[in-house]
Amino acid sequence: MFKKLMASGVALAALGGAAQAADKTLVISVYGFAQDAFKEIVYDPFEAQCGCELVVETGNSVERLAKLEARKDDPEIDMAVMSTHDALSASRKGITQPINVSRLSNYDKLYDIAKDPLGDNLAVGYTFYATSIAYRADEVTIESWADLFQDKLKGRVAFPNVSTNQGPPALYMVGKAIGDDAADLKAAIGEVAKNKDDIVTFYERSSQVAQLMQQEEILAAPIGRFAWGAYSKMGFDMAWATPKEGQTGGMNVMILTKGAKNEDLAYEFMDFWLSTDIQTKLAEALVDSPANAEVKVSDEIAENLTYGAETVESLQLLDPAVILDNRESWLSEWNAQIGQ
Amino acid sequence: MFHNRMEGLALALPAAVFAAIVFLVPVGILLSEGFRAEGSWTLASYASFFESELNRTVFWRTLKLGAIVTAVSAVIGYATAYSIVTLPPTARGRMIGLVVMPLMISPVARTYAWIVILGRTGFVNETIVWLGLSDTPIRFLFTETAVFIGLLQLFLPLMILSLISALENMPKDAVPAARVLGANWLQVFVKVILPLTKEGLVIGGTLVFTGSLTAYITPAILGGSKVLMLETLLYQRVTVANDFASASIIAMILMVMSFSANLLLKRLATARNKR
Repeated sequence: MFKKLMASGVALAALGGAAQAADKTLVISVYGFAQDAFKEIVYDPFEAQCGCELVVETGNSVERLAKLEARKDDPEIDMAVMSTHDALSASRKGITQPINVSRLSNYDKLYDIAKDPLGDNLAVGYTFYATSIAYRADEVTIESWADLFQDKLKGRVAFPNVSTNQGPPALYMVGKAIGDDAADLKAAIGEVAKNKDDIVTFYERSSQVAQLMQQEEILAAPIGRFAWGAYSKMGFDMAWATPKEGQTGGMNVMILTKGAKNEDLAYEFMDFWLSTDIQTKLAEALVDSPANAEVKVSDEIAENLTYGAETVESLQLLDPAVILDNRESWLSEWNAQIGQ
Repeated sequence: MFHNRMEGLALALPAAVFAAIVFLVPVGILLSEGFRAEGSWTLASYASFFESELNRTVFWRTLKLGAIVTAVSAVIGYATAYSIVTLPPTARGRMIGLVVMPLMISPVARTYAWIVILGRTGFVNETIVWLGLSDTPIRFLFTETAVFIGLLQLFLPLMILSLISALENMPKDAVPAARVLGANWLQVFVKVILPLTKEGLVIGGTLVFTGSLTAYITPAILGGSKVLMLETLLYQRVTVANDFASASIIAMILMVMSFSANLLLKRLATARNKR
C-alpha cells in the first residue's frame, strides 16, 4: 500500500541535504481510492521522469480540507485533487491559487467542461462520472427519474443519502422530473419524503448498494458510473437508465495551493497526469474516466466508464457554488422531512 | 511496596503523560468547542441542539435502544452465564471459548452477516414464508429492530463474560441453601444471585450500554439514515456539514450518558445492599 503519511519536514530530514531535496520533493493530497493503481500508473513513472520524490497524503475530503486549511499560511501540500464543490470551498477559504493553464501542455486536449469548471482557472478537471439509475431490466422499466417511485419499486429501491456526492445530483434530477428543479431542492426532498417508507434505505456508500442489489433486496438505485462494473457482473439483467430528463454526475479537479513550495513540480505533475498516455492507462485500469478528449479505449472498457464527447456533453452537473451554498440547508430540510 | 509515594508517582508518570498528550488534551479541546459561542462560555449550543425535533428524536432513540439492549442482554446473560458456571471445567472452558469467539471477528463482518440473515431472501424471511406466517418477505433491514438485533449480538458476549466471573465468585452453596429453605427460582434470583453478582452486572451493563451508545458501524449498516442514532448523526455533522461544534456537543452528550448510566447502575447496586 503506497501511503507515505509523513509530514514533508520528516521527508526532507530523511533525505538529508534539505535545501537540495526541497527542490526535488512534491507533496500531493489525494483520495485514498485505488492507490495501488495510481502508484503503478502515475506516481512511479512520474518520479522516474522528474528525478524527484513524491510524497502522497491520502484521506477523505473532510480530513484533507481541514488539514489544508490548518496549514494555509505555511502549506506543506503543493497540489490536491477533490470534488468541484470542495475545490470551490478551498478557494473561498484562500487555500488555492489560480492555475496558469499556459503551463499545461495537455490543457487544450481536455473536454470543455473540464477546462475551467470553477471559473478564474481555480481548478482543472481530470475525471468525471455520470450518475443515473442502475436497474433490473427483467423486473422494471425506467424512463424517467420519477419512475424510481413506481408501484413495482415500492419497498425495492434505494436512494443516495443527501450527505453523499450522489445525493444532491439525484435529488436535482428528481426535481426536474416533477417539474421543480429549484436550487433549494425542497420539492425533490418532499417527493422523496412522500415515498420514504417505500425506499429500502438511503445509502451512504456505493458498495452498500451493490450488496443490496446482489441480494435482490432492491431492483433499482441511482449510482455513479464508477461503480457500474460491479453491477454488470452480477448475473442479472442489469441496465443503465437514460432517463428523459438526462443523466447527472460529478467531476473531480486538481487545485494548486496558494504559496506552494514546489510549484514547478506541481505543474509538471498535473500536466503528466492530464497527458493522453496516463489518462488512457487510468481509463484502461477502470480507475478514472478520462477528461482528456484524445483518449481512445475499447468498447468493452468504455462500457464501464463515463466516456465520449456525447456522454460528457449530456451530463447535467450541479453548479459547485449551488452545492456549497445550499449543502447545509439541504441537510436540514432532508433531516426535517426524512431523517425523523 | 514502594519506598515512598514519589517512586510510585514516578513510575506512573510516563503513562500519565502519554494519556494526557494523546487523549486528554485533544478531547478537552474538542469538547470545549461546544461550550464556546462568540468567545464566551455558554450552554446555549446545548439548548439549541435540543430545540431541533430531529436531534431530540435521535437522542431518545439512542437512549431507548441502549437501555433495551442492556436489559435484554442482562436477562439472556444471566441465563447463559448461570448455565455455563454449572458445567464441569472442560465443558465450561469450551463454552466460554464459544462466547469469546464472536469478539475475535470484526464488527463489520458480524454486522454484514445480519444483512444476509435478515434480508428479503435471507434465512429469517425464507423461514417465515415457508411456515406460511406471511405471503411476502417482511422488511427487517434498516429498522430499529435490525439495529437492536445487531447491537445485542455485538455486546452480549461482554455481559455474559462479566456475569460468568461474578457467578464464579459466588459461594457455591448459596443457591442450594436458598432452595432448601423453600425459595422459588425467582426468589433465588432476586434475593440471592442478584445481590451477590451485582458488581458483574454493573460492569457488564456499563460495557453494553456504553458500547451500544457509541457503536457506529452497526447502526450505520443495519439502520442507515432511516434509523439515525447519535453516533451516526455525529458522523453526518462532521462529514457533510464540517460542523465540529455540533459534533463536540454530541460527543459530550454521549459521554454524559455513559457516565450517568454507570452511576445509575452503581446506585442501584448499592441501594440493594442497604436493604
